[in-house]
Amino acid sequence: MNLADEGSLIERCKNGDREAFASIVNHYMRPAYYVALGYVGSPEDALDLSQDAFVNAFRHIKRFDSSRKFFPWFYSILKNLCMNHLTRERRRHESSIDEMAEEGSVPIPVEAINPEQSAVRRDLEVKVGMALRRLRAKDREIIILQHFQDYSYQEIADLLGIPIGTVMSRLYGARRALRRELEKLGVT
Amino acid sequence: MQEDNFKPLLMGYLDSELTELESIRVEQHLEQCAECARELEEFRRLKEVTRNMRVATPDARSWDEYWSHVYNRLERRVGWVLVSIGAILILSYGVYSLIAKFLLRSDFPLIVRFGAVAIVVGFCTLLISVLRERLFMSRIDKYERIKR
Ligand SMILES: [Zn+2]
Repeated sequence: MNLADEGSLIERCKNGDREAFASIVNHYMRPAYYVALGYVGSPEDALDLSQDAFVNAFRHIKRFDSSRKFFPWFYSILKNLCMNHLTRERRRHESSIDEMAEEGSVPIPVEAINPEQSAVRRDLEVKVGMALRRLRAKDREIIILQHFQDYSYQEIADLLGIPIGTVMSRLYGARRALRRELEKLGVT
Repeated sequence: MQEDNFKPLLMGYLDSELTELESIRVEQHLEQCAECARELEEFRRLKEVTRNMRVATPDARSWDEYWSHVYNRLERRVGWVLVSIGAILILSYGVYSLIAKFLLRSDFPLIVRFGAVAIVVGFCTLLISVLRERLFMSRIDKYERIKR
């Protein structure tokens, strides 16, 4: 979706047009889910929080400058919800010995694209998931989008509102961190 | 170019995201820099290890129903706003008629009149606060329920 099309959809949203908002939601629901997953680690929560973020975005759509890209603005709403969610989780677990749901310690479920596969492969997926959970949320997010979900650099730059050079340097840092964590788990 | 600035370009090279010119520059650098060549090899291995993996992704139905979930939550919010406005209107009318009919009648002792008003106002406050709490709690609950 180009900026002009998006801008006119947003203008319609500002007039309360929900059909226009449906197009926005359908366009951005997947990256919204992946970003949330990077923060909270649970697919159910990620789906739920990303939907809540769209609700909040629609409620505050009048504050949004339609000449800008939607997702970076939406992203800050989504991130806030995810952080609040993590704080709530942490508070709930405070008294238990359970491992805390801190940023950076949430397991990320990893699965195979084609399910028929060996136990060795399955073991590897678990280790990759464990390594992912140890990354910083920022690193996890870019790894999930690019490395695991094959978003292009340009798509990521547009989504996060950052230059391609920054996509590359963040990806570099994130992949190094992932490699380090995998090495600790004996995957080389 | 400085080594640190150069390293991120290895990502673009690995993912075939560079322009032809940039690729040639990376290749030239790789020929003379053993460290970058080694690092690129490690990133290649990482990519190989994680090939065919993806993070857990909702099924097709969840995506189909995604918008309707958002829509329902938008509706629910409108519903709550309407309920609140309605409640406030009715309660204010109640308080108004109470004052008009009861307080101004002098056949009850003053203390009974004040007592009755205090009870009604207190009851309304409790009602509103319970409503607000229900609304707030149901939002928290939603997250907790899924966690189980
Ligand atoms: Zn080098």
